[in-house]
Amino acid sequence: MSGTRTRAAAREGRARGGTLRSVLAAPTWPGSVERPVRQRQVGVDYDTAWSRSPAARLARAVIVDNVTRPFVHLVASPRVVGRELLEPLRGPVIFAANHSSHLDTAIVLSCLPSRFRHHAVVAAASDYFFDRRWKGDLWSLTLGTIPMERTRVNRRSADLAAALIDDGWSLVIFPEGGRTEDGWGQEFRGGAAYLAKRCDVPVVPVHLHGVRPILPKGGSRLRPGDVAVRFGAPLRPHGAGDSTARDEDARRFSARIAHAVAALADEAETDWWSARRRAADGSTPDPRGPDVAAWRRGWTLPDSRRTRPPGTREEPSAPW
Amino acid sequence: MSPRPGFVLEVDRSTPATMFWHGEGFRLERLPVGSRVVYPPEPLAALADPEAAIRDALEHPVGDSEPLSALLRPGMRLTIAFDDVSLPLPPMRPPDARQRVIEAVLDAAATAGVDDVVLIAALALHRRMTDDELRHALGSRVFDAFAPHGLLLQHDAEDPSGVVHLGMTDQGEDVEINRRAAESDLLVYVNINLVAMDGGHKSVATGLASYKSIRHHHNVKTMQQSRSFMDRHRSELHTSNWRMGRLIADAGVKVFQIETTLNLDTFPSQFKFLQKREWEWSLKDRAGFQATRAALDRTPPAMARQIFSSIRSPHALTSVQAGEVEAVHDLTLGNVHRQQLVEVSGQADVLTMGLPYICPYNVNSIMNPILVACLGLGYFFNLYRGRPLVREGGVCIISHPTPWAFNPVHHPSYIDFFEQVLAETSDPLEIEAKYEQSFATDPWYVHLYRTSHAYHGVHPFYMWYWCAHALQHLGQVIIVGGDRAAVRRLGFKPASSLADALEMAEDVVGRDPSITHLHAPPLFLADVT
Amino acid sequence: MKEIVVERSVARFAAARAVALVAGSGNGISVGPLRLADRDPRDLPGPEWVRMQPLLSGICGSDLATVDGASSRYFEPIVSFPFVLGHEVVGVVEADGGARYVLEPVLGCLARGIDPPCAACAAGRKGACERIAYGHLRPGLQTGFCADTGGGWSEGLVAHRSQLHRVPDDMSDDAAVVVEPVACAVHAALLGAVVPGERAVVLGSGTLGLATVAALRHHSLPASLVAVAKHPVQRELASALGADAVVAPGELERAVRRITGSLALPRSGAPTRLTGGADVVFDCVGTAQSIASSLDVVRPGGRIVLVGMPGTVRVDLAPLWQREVTLVGAYAYGSEPTSDGPRSTFDLSFELVAAARLERLVSARYPLERYEEAVRHAAHAGRRGAVKVVFDLRRSGRASWRSAAGTTRPTAAPAASAPEGAHDARADASATAPARKEPAGRRRPAKTTTEPVEAHE
Repeated sequence: MSGTRTRAAAREGRARGGTLRSVLAAPTWPGSVERPVRQRQVGVDYDTAWSRSPAARLARAVIVDNVTRPFVHLVASPRVVGRELLEPLRGPVIFAANHSSHLDTAIVLSCLPSRFRHHAVVAAASDYFFDRRWKGDLWSLTLGTIPMERTRVNRRSADLAAALIDDGWSLVIFPEGGRTEDGWGQEFRGGAAYLAKRCDVPVVPVHLHGVRPILPKGGSRLRPGDVAVRFGAPLRPHGAGDSTARDEDARRFSARIAHAVAALADEAETDWWSARRRAADGSTPDPRGPDVAAWRRGWTLPDSRRTRPPGTREEPSAPW
Repeated sequence: MSPRPGFVLEVDRSTPATMFWHGEGFRLERLPVGSRVVYPPEPLAALADPEAAIRDALEHPVGDSEPLSALLRPGMRLTIAFDDVSLPLPPMRPPDARQRVIEAVLDAAATAGVDDVVLIAALALHRRMTDDELRHALGSRVFDAFAPHGLLLQHDAEDPSGVVHLGMTDQGEDVEINRRAAESDLLVYVNINLVAMDGGHKSVATGLASYKSIRHHHNVKTMQQSRSFMDRHRSELHTSNWRMGRLIADAGVKVFQIETTLNLDTFPSQFKFLQKREWEWSLKDRAGFQATRAALDRTPPAMARQIFSSIRSPHALTSVQAGEVEAVHDLTLGNVHRQQLVEVSGQADVLTMGLPYICPYNVNSIMNPILVACLGLGYFFNLYRGRPLVREGGVCIISHPTPWAFNPVHHPSYIDFFEQVLAETSDPLEIEAKYEQSFATDPWYVHLYRTSHAYHGVHPFYMWYWCAHALQHLGQVIIVGGDRAAVRRLGFKPASSLADALEMAEDVVGRDPSITHLHAPPLFLADVT
Repeated sequence: MKEIVVERSVARFAAARAVALVAGSGNGISVGPLRLADRDPRDLPGPEWVRMQPLLSGICGSDLATVDGASSRYFEPIVSFPFVLGHEVVGVVEADGGARYVLEPVLGCLARGIDPPCAACAAGRKGACERIAYGHLRPGLQTGFCADTGGGWSEGLVAHRSQLHRVPDDMSDDAAVVVEPVACAVHAALLGAVVPGERAVVLGSGTLGLATVAALRHHSLPASLVAVAKHPVQRELASALGADAVVAPGELERAVRRITGSLALPRSGAPTRLTGGADVVFDCVGTAQSIASSLDVVRPGGRIVLVGMPGTVRVDLAPLWQREVTLVGAYAYGSEPTSDGPRSTFDLSFELVAAARLERLVSARYPLERYEEAVRHAAHAGRRGAVKVVFDLRRSGRASWRSAAGTTRPTAAPAASAPEGAHDARADASATAPARKEPAGRRRPAKTTTEPVEAHE
């Protein structure tokens, strides 16, 4: 008899507890009904169109001016050199910067003149900033990021970027494809040059100096410091329109962009005049550092790119 | 005024109370009239320009050696080995001597275009250093250039492919050292010679060796025949290492030895009273002492340990010498002796000592009972040249809280040694015969030594062997103010006060014994005639 | 005839449990279901039954659980109220001219008049009897839990002839009273089937634990035998009875790891679990903690023999599952397979008690009237330097034949006046400590209570 009662109670309990559960848990799919394949909406496939709606642009403008910029000034106190070079520019521009820290995007955006700042998108690694829906939502709202594959020119993302540039948006891009591991620069990839040629817009070389000590790759703690942001003279691709020479030219143009950023780096370490002279005679130091053993690369790394010692680490757990 | 040499005080009725170290604390004790207190010499003047002195030593080596720059060439394999966290004590205020020397060596290597450079912490069977400790020893510039690329290594005596057997000495001792070091075109060893036992051939032959090699000199017989191991010419430990070192040289390993000596400026300004003679304590010293002692009485032990661990010593370089190992070490010994020798005439019936919070094996850790025994009977007892400070059959009285406490990360095998081995016997020979092998090969200790920050399984045995000479020589060991159970487990007698301990000692050495107190640290070397 | 009766009273059991939880084991006795009663001798239940007058009667861990109201409710259908506690009994049967017997308390088919007996009883495995609640007796797994038989904490009980084992004339009462618990230990040790070279651990150093150590030493050849003991007297005895290493509870994992050369798996906020471990663990405690501890130190594929009586426990069985550990209970005794064919556990126990001099486990004797004090002493036996606490029911009239047997220990003072005999065993053990004079500088630790003497004999 007690067994009957228990079973009855169990049945009833299931029905009662089931109300909440039926709301929270998705219904099970009948085995006999075929399940449609769901579209992957993250990574390169994340659709950022919503983030360029007037409402989202307004929200972003408020965030960038009232949160991002004050924050950047607090931790990085950026000093901007060469902003006057941006004066004559009208219409969309591609900003190509070196990359050593997560802060780079916020710093570049903060230092752009407002006509670019509020009408710019940032090419961001699709595998890092768009691997989850919420991350895509967050970054495209606050920084105006669009997904871009690091390693190759993805058709979809290139088309999107080109369309946006054609539509009047400026693009902030880090041609190195990722943050530096050891403080030295990395090879420039061709995306910026390709887009500049395809859309026939100028590329502004940008160099960020002193960001790595604040928050290096793998760092978890902000150590406020001073950053210098240098804008170089805008570069335009030579001989646009010749489709046969296009690939070759894009590569050469990319090298020219890299060289311009290297000259800015040289200027940051020394002074404008000696950097110009070295640029002129082709002896600008390679920001990628010497091609020697890893320890000597580390040994010769300028102090401005060194990270500061981390805090005390945790001891390993005791075996007893 | 030039620094005063060491001093032997005879206690009279107007002598103020003597300060005894007592772990993370101090005691003031009135020694009986007629007792002698041996004080260390005052710190020698530091080198005026250490960087220049280092560069000069590298370019003007002693013995049969070319200047460092002449030994460096592109394409060569260069290995730089350095002393581990056990030196110096307390850890130096930055920049550490190793950092200064290694930066100079690396600048020379970079200039010469040497690509293949590896740094190795010469751990022997000590625990691996933490990143923070490595960074402290080497400085950020060196650490950041090497550590991220896996070029900053710590010697792994248990890596079967990481050591190489170079041969046997004429006494049948295996010589097995770090493979990378042995197969380099040049091995630069950077020493800190805090006391006379450090350096010489012991650097490479022990610091970079494996258990198979170290066991030939780290054993009871050798230690009992090292009188003392601070006196290189009367130390069987060193004789064995010298044989091995010569074999290493004969095997074609080119060693460029760099030795540095430090002065006795051991404690920072707020603790300066620790290296002053009590009757010279100023108002500031007296206030500092009383305030420190009062604060420590109210501090939980773990926090007191942290406070003491954060002490950075102002030790300054007094000399740098580089070149061929034996020529370098002779100069080094001269420089160590110049700072540390104190003449003492005659032995005493009773030797008293206060042990500080630190020994070579508990940097950033707990001084467990085995280390208390080792510091007292191993190191302090052996701080002599000629004859021990205490006569044969005499009594050693040690002041230390000796807590029954261990750092399980650093000293896992110590716990087992204390719980299982010392529970059965404290006879070094019996312990060596019965237990050493099984601890040395225990896979768990090997694992922790290689991957965590644990001393090797055999290390607590060495601590006990270090005491072997003293245990053989002494009639009784008394620990004042220690945890009774822990002191008994060590085989010693606990006493609650120095007065009680002296009463107990009289049972062994007779009425009105002569007493010598070792007022260290700062460390010195008693030249007993 | 006086006896200590346990009555069915839910309220008093609950009160005892509450007090025991708050004030500690043994303290529930004053509010619990026990009372000292006076009654006429019981009727004999059948023809093969005789009356027995206990001489000594032990206090067992399971008795303490009853006193504390902590027994598992599992036992409800296999006990019958009111019962008289006490199943470790040596007594005399006047019907046999005062011969001394040890009682084998299990009430199997034979005692219950069930014919044919169940398969287990037929095979001599009385502990596994399937009829313990049936037959002409009321339910009761053992004498001491059955309303019809009485129990050892009394001046008289009734026993079936099949329950009686004659005590050899040269065996003292002290030795005889531990034969029953030692039989449990012998059974457990043999159930553990330690083959030569295996490593065994014995958790707990009460009577059962110490007897298990002795039984393992006597009946098998473990490569190493680790005993866990908290208190100095227990440590001395465990070592004297043949443990290779005696460790404190907190040292067990480390000791087993060292001896077996295994690795360890660090766990935050909990003791370390070993990757390997002992081949067999004898848990002579039976708490959640001791079972968890056993699981921590047993090797994969190893065995845990549960010797101490558990109740409802909360234990993580994931390691049992993952390491395919065998957990087996060892309750009582009966017949053991030996190389000479099956033998009665009690016979083996008599041999072991004599060979290992286990009479030294008896450390304190109390008269029945002081049962509350006795139970409290037993509950804290280890801490108070005792192992087995017994009731002494000998009347002065019997002293003559005991001394005639010439085996009564000369040190045993008249028990009623000297329950402090608790310290006898310890005095004996330390008397054997070597008073060695050793060379200077190599002294052994002073022998004191904090450094128990290893009295190897």
